[in-house]
Amino acid sequence: MEYRDKKNAYNKIINFIKDKWELLDQSLRTQAVDVIEWEYEELQHIFGLLVLGSFIGLPAPPMQITLDLMPAMEKELLLMLEKVDTAAGPLSELFSLLKIG
Amino acid sequence: MKSHPINMFFLGKGGVGKSTLSALSALYLAEKGNRVYLVSMDPAHNQADIFQKKISQKPLKVDNNLLISEINLNELVKNYLKQVEDNINNAYRYLTAFNLEQYTTIIKYSPGIEEYALLLGFNDIVSQFTANYFIFDMPPTALAVKFFNLPSLSMLWLEKLMQLRHEIIKKRQIITKVKFGKKETETDKVLQQLTTQKEFYNRIQNTFQNENTTFVNIVVNPDELSYSESQDIISSLRNINVKPKDIIINKFIKSEHIEKSDARFAHLPIQYFTQMNYPLIGIDTLKRCLHENYDHFSFL
Repeated sequence: MEYRDKKNAYNKIINFIKDKWELLDQSLRTQAVDVIEWEYEELQHIFGLLVLGSFIGLPAPPMQITLDLMPAMEKELLLMLEKVDTAAGPLSELFSLLKIG
Repeated sequence: MKSHPINMFFLGKGGVGKSTLSALSALYLAEKGNRVYLVSMDPAHNQADIFQKKISQKPLKVDNNLLISEINLNELVKNYLKQVEDNINNAYRYLTAFNLEQYTTIIKYSPGIEEYALLLGFNDIVSQFTANYFIFDMPPTALAVKFFNLPSLSMLWLEKLMQLRHEIIKKRQIITKVKFGKKETETDKVLQQLTTQKEFYNRIQNTFQNENTTFVNIVVNPDELSYSESQDIISSLRNINVKPKDIIINKFIKSEHIEKSDARFAHLPIQYFTQMNYPLIGIDTLKRCLHENYDHFSFL
């Protein structure tokens, strides 16, 4: 085997290991923050509910606080709309997060 | 002459004489050489009748050193809600698929905005105009108390929301650091907005609580209903650390009222004004009344 072929084969192995390592690293990192991400989204739901509660009959801050915050709250609003789909099955959401069943 | 502008408020039950006393006080202070700006915050807008002038949102000079205007509550509410609606429509233009227009329609009917509109009106006047005294003829008790309470109530909410927001940002930073290996430095628009709001209320609350620049006078009539409502006002103000400056017993006739009032409003300075036997309408009549009772206004 010539030197160049040897180098190519060596590089292929290195790249293969690198790719796998990155994949594994990414997957482990994602798994590590799974629960924190869930907590983060739930905190955003709570924030959304506190600020926008008056729209669904919950106690809410003085109206102008809500009104002045609304232009900056598109993400919370979207999350709340998404939440509507999963709101009926909170247990199934929890089971799926904890990977039960 | 005072170097810092004084904000003087006249509060009390409907019909006790807040408007007349604020008009007389404004004339007294103006005659003493102060630049005075009298603002009618009462939706009933009695100042127009008292001064027999057409008064609007634009300041009107009614005497040397004396400007008067009235706050148009409906207009302020309408303008504020329009501004909110525009901001929301701009921010959510691309989200119409989610039926967000319905929220903005609801905004038009938002209750509890009146006290905020009054606060905006107050803030506009004290920040846009120069005077030695700003005299505010306040609306009846319910709205006036809400006006004074609004900054501290809003601050309570804002502090809790900011606490929660900091927690959200902390979590977001952990996630991005673990997932992508770097801390997120993006500024949070919501936290920025919360901070701006908190600064506004903090400033107003500090103004209200500053005994050297904010004088809250409670106007009372010598009758049980007025006494009891005034005591409610005093305790509401105390809850937010605003101390009334003077109690003004207006339209008192009998000396027995003095004993009763002294007992009811112990620890607070009390001023007495007798019932006039002529209607206090028109600037000349007001001046006549003022000169007949000049010494009574020395407490100002």
